[in-house]
Amino acid sequence: MNFYGFILDNTGLVLEYTLNHISLVAVVLFFSLILWIAVGLVISRYDRIAGTIISLGSIVFCIPSISLFGFFMSVPGLGLGRRTATLVLVIYAMMPLVRSVYMGIKSVDPSVIDAGKGMGMTGLQILFKIQVPMAWPMVFAGIRVTVVLITGIATMATFIGEKNLGRLIHQGITRGNADMIIAGAVIVSLIALAIDYIMGRIEKKITSPGLRFEAGK
Amino acid sequence: MIRVDNIKKTFPGANSPAVDQVTFNVNEGNICVFVGPSGCGKTTILRMINRLIEPDQGDIFINGKDVLEMNPATLRRTIGYVIQQIGLLPHRTIEANVALVPGLLKWPRDKTRQRVLELLEMVGLRPGEVGHKYPHQLSGGQMQRVGVARALAADPPIMLMDEPFGAVDPIVRIRLQDEFLRLQQTFKKTICFVTHDINEAIKMGDYLVIVNQGRIVQMGTPIEVLTSPADDFVLRLLGDDRGVKILDLTRSGSLMESFQAPPKTSAGINGCIVQAIQPVKIALEMMMKNNSDQVGVCSGDKIVGILTWNSIKAHINRVSGDGP
Amino acid sequence: MNFDMDIFMDALWRLSPGYLTEHLQLVIIPMAIAILISLPAGIIITRPGYRRHSGRVMAFFNAGQTIPPLAVIAIFFPFLGLGYGPAILALTIYALLPIARNTIAAIHSVPEDVKEAAMGMGMTPREVLFSVELPLSVPAIMTGIKTSAVLTVSTAVLAALVGGKGMGAVIFSGINFFRPELILAGTIYIGIMAIVIERMISVIEWMIVPAHIR
Repeated sequence: MNFYGFILDNTGLVLEYTLNHISLVAVVLFFSLILWIAVGLVISRYDRIAGTIISLGSIVFCIPSISLFGFFMSVPGLGLGRRTATLVLVIYAMMPLVRSVYMGIKSVDPSVIDAGKGMGMTGLQILFKIQVPMAWPMVFAGIRVTVVLITGIATMATFIGEKNLGRLIHQGITRGNADMIIAGAVIVSLIALAIDYIMGRIEKKITSPGLRFEAGK
Repeated sequence: MIRVDNIKKTFPGANSPAVDQVTFNVNEGNICVFVGPSGCGKTTILRMINRLIEPDQGDIFINGKDVLEMNPATLRRTIGYVIQQIGLLPHRTIEANVALVPGLLKWPRDKTRQRVLELLEMVGLRPGEVGHKYPHQLSGGQMQRVGVARALAADPPIMLMDEPFGAVDPIVRIRLQDEFLRLQQTFKKTICFVTHDINEAIKMGDYLVIVNQGRIVQMGTPIEVLTSPADDFVLRLLGDDRGVKILDLTRSGSLMESFQAPPKTSAGINGCIVQAIQPVKIALEMMMKNNSDQVGVCSGDKIVGILTWNSIKAHINRVSGDGP
Repeated sequence: MNFDMDIFMDALWRLSPGYLTEHLQLVIIPMAIAILISLPAGIIITRPGYRRHSGRVMAFFNAGQTIPPLAVIAIFFPFLGLGYGPAILALTIYALLPIARNTIAAIHSVPEDVKEAAMGMGMTPREVLFSVELPLSVPAIMTGIKTSAVLTVSTAVLAALVGGKGMGAVIFSGINFFRPELILAGTIYIGIMAIVIERMISVIEWMIVPAHIR
């Protein structure tokens, strides 16, 4: 068993797969943040559609990722490759992102909003000066969960032609190459752990000291 | 200053209106206290004045201007608002919280900062000590003070206060009430004040509006309400110690027998004296302390009259006699 | 999309049902083992003596959950080879994390004053655990079990990669042969299974949670 031996022997390949992996996650994150934070903000103001949207997200979340990849792969115009991978991962990011934005905004103490309104803040001022800053730690936690999740599920995109760390695991299994499997699994796990750790540190930093006591409770 | 004319509000899904046929005026510089049991509609009335709740019918005028035709946000920036839960923004420092409305009104930074420091000082907080703290680092009483300072920030002529001292312990509450009354003597704001505590209402109010089941059951100055309660409900609300409450609002000077000429000696008084402007309750306290049935009443350092136990008793019988 | 209805019907009614029992086993066995391990572990770690370690244990479980499912499934393969056993082991470990996490969090979230009141009335630590802490924690613990179950139903698809069979076999053939009909048929069963299991746990929860804290 010598997985770092495998890594050393195949540095070019491992590096390529790793970079591919990271770039896929980055692209997905870019689109997901724009799309789902906006959706989260919108549904926080329209309670009637909020329930529907959030349960839609949870349903999507229950579908095995491989099914979504496989299914969208068969849609004409998408096929194998990055486009499908991006689309599916963006869909997966919906649940944690929309939910955290919605829950974050809804968790703001109503008396604070009442006070803001009573002092003459407009709806948008309440949103951007009270709700968003107070929800921000929760939203960031949601982003953190999403990034970790996407990093993990992105491994499955290897089955629709993505050349990323999932491919090391997949090919390792088909070829019975244990070192290859472990190399893939270890690198992708380390990336996920590192992202989780770093974002956890950032989360602590960006949370207003006035809100920190709540997390400590 | 504030004129409310026959407003009515029924919340969706409710069988009976929360507020109905409510009409009153609040004069400039007065504290008008809305008092009644919880759920009686007093908070709803208050929240209609700054349009946090829209009345179904009726009119509300501030300085002759129809509130319902003004932009709600602009209107609210000219009205101070204090609530029991305070609602300080937890993610902002105390200074930033007080600076909220000046910020909305786009005051220059220097002016805002000046004002914030002045206000914190005014409500009895040390700006250097609490200014950079966050709300959760303050005690309940300190937070209430910040709440008041924040409402006063843009110097609004009108303030709406909903149980503003309700969340603190009785000792702190009394101190906050006293300090607020002291501030009000210089500010002369027009204030609508909601409470369920009749003692607080009598203490704070220039004028009482007693509300029950969405309707006004009685209006008047505290002494008017105490001496002639409109019905059984008001009588119960005032409590069994109504007579003592009256004595708290009656000046010793008003019940004394004045001397035609200043007495040569203070015989029979034995240094047992009160000031004419002090409430009769204080005179009673003095009598008990000195085991006497009379006290001398002074104006400044001159004895101007004498107040006897019998005249107090007669007064109580007279005013509590005319119950409903 | 070229979607052949006949193939789909065939996959839905003839092919997939054959894998249903296997898939169910891939869910129920790991779940059962995971519950048996993580409930007692969660309770022990929240006892006063061990409590100071619980932060670290939580951090460990949280970190565990960040590891991609494919990595967890794959990592045992080199040691245990292909087959059912390695798949069960991997799924158990994966199912364990959310249950343990939620159990610890749930017991921690029981208000301190309630526990103190119970102790003040003379309850032993054991009585406090069984008549105060656990009853109050049940809803949150059950949420953890539900999350874990739904997750396991869909993660069990990956068992097919290491020879563990299950519905994953149908779905992965669909991928390999470009047959969306197979993918859809397999996914429908997965979805139904997730919903049914979730409902069943909800019913159990409804039966064991005291009515007044429901």
